Amino acid sequence: MYLSRMKTKLLLAVALLLLSSCVSHPDVPTSSKEAKCQPAIFPDYCDVTVPCNIAPLNFMLPADQYEVCVARLTTPDGQQQTYGKGVKVQIPESEWHKMLGASKGKSIKIEVWGKKQGEWLSFSPFEIYVAEQPIDEYLSYRLIEPSYVAWDYMEIAQRNLTSFKETQIFNNEITMNDKTIGQCVNCHSYQNYKTDNMLFHVRLSNAGTIIVNDGKISKVNLKRDYTISGGVYPSWHPTAKLIAFSTNKTRQGFHTANPNKIEVYDLASDLILYDVLTDSVSVICEDPDLLEVYPTWSPDGKYLYYCKSVPLPEELRDKDIRSTYPKIQYNLYRRSFDMASHNFGEEELVYDAASHNKSATLPRISPDGRYLLFAEGQYGCFHIRHNDGDIVCLQLDDADATLRAQIGEETPSDIDLSKLNSQGLPDSYPTWSSNGYWIMCASRRDDGNFCRVYFSYFNHGKAEKAFLLPQKDPELHVSLLKSYNRPEFMVEPVKISVNEFSRAF
Amino acid sequence: MSSAGHSKFLRPLCTLLFGVAVLLFFGLAYPHHLHYQEQYQLFLFDRAYVWEIVRLPGGVADLLGRFCTQFFLFAWVGALIIGALLSAVQLLTLQLVCWGRLYGLSFVPSLLLWLFLLDENALLGGIWAVLLTLLASWGFSRLPNGWLRRILLLCAIPVLYWMVGPVCVLFFLLQAPRPKRATWWYYGVFVLLAAMLVILSYCLPVPAERLWLGIHYHRYPTVVPVLLWVAALSVFVLTLTARACHRWVCAPCHFIVTPLSFLLVAIGMGCLVWNTSNFKAEKVMRFDFMARHQQWNRILATIKAEKPKNQIGVTVQNLALAKRGLLADHLFDYHQNGIAGLLPDVERDATSPLPTAEAFYQLGMISVAQRTVFEAQEAILDFQKSARCYKRLAQTNLILGSYEVARKYLKALQKTHFYRDWANETLPLLGNEEAIAQHPEYGHLRKWGYDEDFYFSDHVTPEMLESLYFNHPDNSLAYEYLRAYYLLTGDRERYARLLLHTSMTR
Repeated sequence: MYLSRMKTKLLLAVALLLLSSCVSHPDVPTSSKEAKCQPAIFPDYCDVTVPCNIAPLNFMLPADQYEVCVARLTTPDGQQQTYGKGVKVQIPESEWHKMLGASKGKSIKIEVWGKKQGEWLSFSPFEIYVAEQPIDEYLSYRLIEPSYVAWDYMEIAQRNLTSFKETQIFNNEITMNDKTIGQCVNCHSYQNYKTDNMLFHVRLSNAGTIIVNDGKISKVNLKRDYTISGGVYPSWHPTAKLIAFSTNKTRQGFHTANPNKIEVYDLASDLILYDVLTDSVSVICEDPDLLEVYPTWSPDGKYLYYCKSVPLPEELRDKDIRSTYPKIQYNLYRRSFDMASHNFGEEELVYDAASHNKSATLPRISPDGRYLLFAEGQYGCFHIRHNDGDIVCLQLDDADATLRAQIGEETPSDIDLSKLNSQGLPDSYPTWSSNGYWIMCASRRDDGNFCRVYFSYFNHGKAEKAFLLPQKDPELHVSLLKSYNRPEFMVEPVKISVNEFSRAF
Repeated sequence: MSSAGHSKFLRPLCTLLFGVAVLLFFGLAYPHHLHYQEQYQLFLFDRAYVWEIVRLPGGVADLLGRFCTQFFLFAWVGALIIGALLSAVQLLTLQLVCWGRLYGLSFVPSLLLWLFLLDENALLGGIWAVLLTLLASWGFSRLPNGWLRRILLLCAIPVLYWMVGPVCVLFFLLQAPRPKRATWWYYGVFVLLAAMLVILSYCLPVPAERLWLGIHYHRYPTVVPVLLWVAALSVFVLTLTARACHRWVCAPCHFIVTPLSFLLVAIGMGCLVWNTSNFKAEKVMRFDFMARHQQWNRILATIKAEKPKNQIGVTVQNLALAKRGLLADHLFDYHQNGIAGLLPDVERDATSPLPTAEAFYQLGMISVAQRTVFEAQEAILDFQKSARCYKRLAQTNLILGSYEVARKYLKALQKTHFYRDWANETLPLLGNEEAIAQHPEYGHLRKWGYDEDFYFSDHVTPEMLESLYFNHPDNSLAYEYLRAYYLLTGDRERYARLLLHTSMTR
C-alpha cells in the first residue's frame, strides 16, 4: 500500500516536472526601470487585431540585446498568466485559445519586461485586439529559396492557422525522374477555398498540371498547339468545373545595381479557359501585341477579372523588352461570363492604373463582391520583386468611384491600406479570407529578400495593422532561409497525401 | 612465439598498416576530394537540422556522416576519420567469423568502401551505415540463441533500418540461421522487413526506390551506390565462404600465411584503388581549393610546374595572374580557352561556377557573384546547403548593403563549428558603414561595385568589364581582365583605346 502510494506520488512528481519543463510561468520582476516605450518584439504584435481562432502569437525580444523576457497577459475577465523562457515568449495553444475565447470582441493586455545587462526594463503595455470573426483554418504556400534560375528542394505546404501544424501537400523530389533538369512545383489553387477541387503545376521533370476533381487526381497537359504555353496562373471558377489560366512566355533579368534585384517579365501572355470535365482548352483573349495575365473570377462567377498591358509608345515597340520593360504597365479589366454557353462578353476597363503611372496586377475580389484588392507598382507584372509594390483596395460597389477610376480621375487612396503595406519593400499576392474579414499578402518587408505571410483585419473598408504568420518558435522567421510563395486560404486541409499525388505521375 | 601471440601482434599491425595507408592516401594523394566534400554541406548544431536528417530512414548514419564530413575542411583530419572508419569496418568484419588462412579477406569490405569513397559524390553516411550494421551484427552474435534473441531481432530490424537505411539488410543476412535449425521465424522477419518497406513507401514523402536502395548514401539521388552495396554484401558472401571452407581455413594464425593473405589482398585491392582514383579531378579540385582560399602565390607556383588545361584550372590560373598584375602580359604563356577561360558562362552545376564566382567577386561584380554562388548552391544535387556558399552569400549581401539578409546567413553560420568565429567577427560589421568602408576587402569591393544598372545574364560581356574599369580606374583587376578580354577576342581597336585611356589617366 505504502509502495503503491509512493509510486503514484513519484509518477505525479515526474508528470509535474515534465509539464513544468514544457511551459514556463515565470514571476514578474519585483522591481524594474520603466522603458517608456513599447517593446521592440519580433514579430511586431503590438496593438494588432487578430482572429478569434489564430494560433498563439509567440514573440521574442532581440537576443543580442536582452537576456530574459517575461510577458504577462491579462484577459478582459481579469485572468492573468505569465510566460517567458530566455528571450522568447511561447504560449501553450490550449491556454492561448482560452484567452482568445474570453477576449472575443475585446482585447488582451500584454505587459513585457526585458532583462538587459542584468537590469529589468518594463515596457509600456500593448493590446492584442481579438476580432469576433475567425480566419480560415488553413493556409497553403510554396516554400522555396528566393531563387534566380536554379532551385533545389521545394514544397507546397499547408499550415493550420489555429495551431502550428504544418504538413506537406507535395514536394519536388518524390516524382522527379531527372535530377539534371530538376522539377518545379508551383501555383496551387483551390475552388472556393475548398480542396476537393484544386490544382498545382509540375514543371520540367515529369511535367504536367495535377488537377483534383471531386477528390480524383489526374495529371493533364494544358499545352495546345494554339496556346503559347501550358496553363500558368490559375483561377478556379467558384461553382463550375472551369479554370481560367494565363499562358505565359516568362523570362528573367538580373540587375547589377538595382535594389529590385530580379526582374520577371513576359514576352507574351494570353488567357485560356480549361474545362476540367471535357479536358478542353479554349482561348479567352490573345491580343498578339498586349499581355493578358492573372485571371480571377468574381465570387458569383459572372465576371472574369484580369490584367492587361497598355500599348507601348510607337517608338518603343520594336525595341528589346529588357530595355522597354520599365515602361510596361498593366490595367485591370473584366469580361462577363455566360455559364450556359461558356462565352465571354466584351472587355471592360475596371481600373486604369497606367493613367496614374502605375501598373496593377493580381486582382482578387472580396467574397461579398464589394472590394477589389490588387498589387500595384510603377511598372511590370511581378511586384513581389519590386520595392514599390503595395497592396491597393478599391470599392467596387461605389459606381461613381469605379467610373472615376476608369477615366483616370480616381486614386485608390480612399481605402487606406497603410497599416497593411510596408514602407519601401515589396508587398504582393493579396488574398481575401472566405469571410472577407482578413486580407493576406506576401511581403519581403522583414529583410527585403525572404517572403513572409502577413494578415490584416478588414472591416467596413478599414484595414488594421498587419501581423506576421505566428510560429511556435518566433525565431523561425529569422532563421528560415525560405520564402513563402503564393499564400492561399483554404477552409479545409488538402486530404490527399504526397504519396497519393505521386501515384498520378 | 605461439600462434596466439602471432595473432595478437600481427592482426592489429595489419589493421594499423591498413589505416595508415588510408590516412596517407587521403591526406597526400586525395586531400582536395575531402575539401570538395566539405564544401557541399552545412552541418548545423541545431535541433531542427538534426531532426530533418534523422526523421528519415538512414538518418542516424547520414547524420554521423555529415558530422564527420565537416572535419574534411582539414584534409588530414578527414583522412584520419576515414582511416579510422575503414579500420573499424575491417575489425568488425574480422569478428564475424573465423577467417584463419583467409584473414586477408577481412579487408575486402573496407577496401571496397575505400573504392566507393574515391567517388567525390559518395557520402560518408554510407560508410557509417555499413559500420553501424556490422556493429549491431557483432553485438547480436554475442547473444545466446533463443526466444530473447528472436524478439530482439524482430525489434532490431526496424530500428536499424531507421538508423542506417536499407544497408541493414546485411544485418538480417548475417543472422541467417544455421542449417537444421528453425528457420520459420527468420523468414517471418524477412516478410516483416519487406512489408515495412512497402508501408513506408506509401507513407513517407520520398521516392519509393530510395527507401529500398538508400536515401542518402550518394549525392546523386538517382544513382544506385553499387560499390557500397557490393562492399556491404561482400561481408555476407565472404563470411559464407569462410564458413564453407571452415575446415580448411580455420587453422591457427600463422606468422607467414596471415600477413601473406593480407599482403595479397592489400596489393591487389591497393592497385585497384590507385588505378581507379581520379587524379585528374583531384587536380581540378586543388585549383578550386586554392581559389577559395585565395592562395594566389601557390596557384602561380602550381601553374609554373604544370599548366592547367581544364576550364576550372584556366579560370583560376587567370584570376591568380590578374591578382598579381601578370595576366595581360603573360596571357599567352599559358593555355587559354578563349574568353571561356577568362570568365566562363555560368553553367547549371554546383562545381564549375564557384571559381568563376570567385573571379566575379574579386573583380567587384558583387551582384553577379552573388547570383552565381546562389545558383551553384541550388545545384547541389542532394539538396544540401554549402558553408562556402553561405559565407560568400553573407559577404555579397554585406557589401551590397542587404544587412538583414546577410544576418540570416551569418546566424546560420553561427550554428556551425568551423565558421562560427568568422560569423561572430562579421556580424558587428552589419550596418556599420564606416567599418565596412575601412575593411581591407569589403571596403574596396563596395567602392568598385557597379554604379549603373543593367541586366546581366550567364554570359559576361566586355561592357561589364568596361563599366567596372572606366568608373573605377583603380580597379586594377578589371584592367587586367579587360586587356585580356580584348587580347583574346582580337579587338585591337578597343585594346588601343584602353591603353590610351590608361596612359592619360594614370
